Amino acid sequence: MLIKDFRRDFYDVLQHQRVLVLVAFDVDALCACKILQYLFQCDQVLYTIVPVDGLQELEHAFLENAEGIRHVILINCGAAVDIVEMLQPEDHVRFYICDSHRPVDVHNFYNAVQVKLLMREDELSSMPAYDDLFRDDGEDESEESDSENDDPETGYKRKRFDDESIIRRQDRRRWNESRVKTLFDYSKFTSYGTSAALMMFELAWKLSKDTNSLLWLAIVGVTDQFVHYRTPRDKYMEDIMSLQSHVSRHNQRGADDENIMSVNCLRVSFEEELYLPLYRHWKLFDSICHSMPIACKLRLWSLKGQKRLHEFLAEMGLPLTQCKQQYSAMDTAMRSEVKVKILEYMNKYGLEIQDVIIPSFTMQYGYKHLLCATDFVYAAAAALESVDRLRLPTDNFLAATEILQRCVSRKIEAGLESAKLQLRGVVNQVQSFLDMHQIISAGPFLYVCVQEGTADSRFFSHPQCLLRLARYTLQAHCSVSRNKRVRSLPLVLGAPLSIEEGRSIMVGIPPLDTDDERKNFFGKAFEQAAESTNTVVRFNSFDSHIIEMKTEDRSKFFDALISILQ
Amino acid sequence: MLAEKALDLVRELHRSLGGTLSPYNEDKIRQVLEEMQTLYDQNKDGAQFAAEGQTDLISAIQVRHAGIQRNKRCLLAYLYTRLEQIRKMRWEFGSVLPPDVKYNMCEQEVQWFNQYNRLLANYMRSVGESGGLDLTQDMKPPKTLYVLVRCIADHGEFETQDGNTVLFKKNSQHYLLRSECEHLIRQGVLEHIIQ
Repeated sequence: MLIKDFRRDFYDVLQHQRVLVLVAFDVDALCACKILQYLFQCDQVLYTIVPVDGLQELEHAFLENAEGIRHVILINCGAAVDIVEMLQPEDHVRFYICDSHRPVDVHNFYNAVQVKLLMREDELSSMPAYDDLFRDDGEDESEESDSENDDPETGYKRKRFDDESIIRRQDRRRWNESRVKTLFDYSKFTSYGTSAALMMFELAWKLSKDTNSLLWLAIVGVTDQFVHYRTPRDKYMEDIMSLQSHVSRHNQRGADDENIMSVNCLRVSFEEELYLPLYRHWKLFDSICHSMPIACKLRLWSLKGQKRLHEFLAEMGLPLTQCKQQYSAMDTAMRSEVKVKILEYMNKYGLEIQDVIIPSFTMQYGYKHLLCATDFVYAAAAALESVDRLRLPTDNFLAATEILQRCVSRKIEAGLESAKLQLRGVVNQVQSFLDMHQIISAGPFLYVCVQEGTADSRFFSHPQCLLRLARYTLQAHCSVSRNKRVRSLPLVLGAPLSIEEGRSIMVGIPPLDTDDERKNFFGKAFEQAAESTNTVVRFNSFDSHIIEMKTEDRSKFFDALISILQ
Repeated sequence: MLAEKALDLVRELHRSLGGTLSPYNEDKIRQVLEEMQTLYDQNKDGAQFAAEGQTDLISAIQVRHAGIQRNKRCLLAYLYTRLEQIRKMRWEFGSVLPPDVKYNMCEQEVQWFNQYNRLLANYMRSVGESGGLDLTQDMKPPKTLYVLVRCIADHGEFETQDGNTVLFKKNSQHYLLRSECEHLIRQGVLEHIIQ
């Protein structure tokens, strides 16, 4: 059931109760969780937080912690599956789902007692009508027909061939068909709704408990959705605009000297940011090389592309010696000009404003460098998907939490360093894909596999980084390929998950020309391909377009996928 | 030198004031007492002669007497400060002292400690309505009643005061009553997260 009044139906119900919070492994969920934590600590609500990495772990974590728990909050997980069916909870358990995954499972939506959805109403408007999905009187009948199928002899005796029952049966069959069709239409595409962090922030705002740091978390959550290709640009802009009003409300100070804020306060400000990853903490040259839109437009992986980049920099009047040293050590005069110059000369190199500018927020805290929201997302995501094999996933989760805490600047810097490694890994991998011509067109889609044992393959056993790689690969391929059709082809990318067990992870992303809708049809396609080939595929991830399978089944699976998508 | 040993005792005590209890220096105390005895004996003789008319002895007697007084003060300071230290430890460590502290105490001190323990326990039982009040728990008013903790090791299930069970699994985070998880934090099962 959809909750209309978050405060009355969600927050007030939880007072003086013990709550179990299950959090998915993404930056948005982490931010939402931290906002919720703050609210609970204000009101002394006891809680337990368990990070869950996949559906199986969700089930496991619920079973382990369910004792005596009446309220379970799911953050960025669980909306797309029938949660009551999956977890088999006792009747008094209530689930509160704050999840940006769409579509929401119909059973979750129409369960009025146990499942409460914390979502925006307008995002669920495509939900099929109740009457199309459930028929209360039909329940017995279907059981009856089931038993008839099981035991044809006794059923035959009972069957009455009067007109009325035949009509009823026909009617029922027709209804069933239309139900399957409606359900399929509804769940054909997976997409993402409003960020969970933003929803939680709005709750905090309604409770008048919003602070600047909560606002920052909401910003990071929204930015995460954009950086990981979950929301279209329009939606991102819309969210940014609504956040901007909060930002100006919280950071409003008079201009006179008496009202200057202490440097130890968090200051957030809106800015038209350069869309270059981590450039404030890197070298400008490296940052440009690792920025997807620019690298793809200039084809930086080729010698010619490198030349063009040098030309571009020369024309802007930025000497290479300046560009190749730490951004923070560049000449201040030059630093302030970078944005203006890039904007001035970008048209000549075929760059558009969307490629280089992103409206975003920056924050300053203490005497440290200015940090941008995207920097935070990269750092936290890199910490979440750390490649250190000795660390448990939950260790990574806590490390990412500490980064978002933002007071330990040492941790943030370490996160930024590993984010750079990740970005380098992605770029190198794309380069080797292109150099070796590994991207193969399978007819209805492109596919490419990360070779086992390459130096960077360890980065790609994690979903978010894999997704970024897939997006980068597709865009790079489109910019290289002469074939016009390429833009309408989706991409499937496989990467080794664990070489010892011979398992690999697979991700499917939509074609570039419909990219801005951010709708992904691979969830259903993978499901059908798995069914038709009888391969053992684990749909463990909360995103249905990311699956795990045995490496040896891969070619069989691809064949089935080709026949389905044709 | 006169009263040198007693001063040594006080110095020794002063060195160990940083929280540890130094071993009870029985040897030196005996030596100080012996010194006092000798001085007393000498004074006794001297006083007899002085009464008989040898007035020049009086100043010597006064010096010895001052020495005795000084020794006494030093000894008392030594013993009293040790008791103070032990009392402080009762509030810090609870009714059972760590073995290394206990080893450094003399028999009388152990006795005193046990008596003090009993008195304190009786008093704590009498205050508050039912079952008394543990005065040693919050020596300073805590900032929050609840704390956020994270599990560092798998500990299994834990039953809270209100009858709920909480599963302490590695890397899960919990918001719990400070009093309940304080001892687990000391044991190293949980870690307090400061926000």
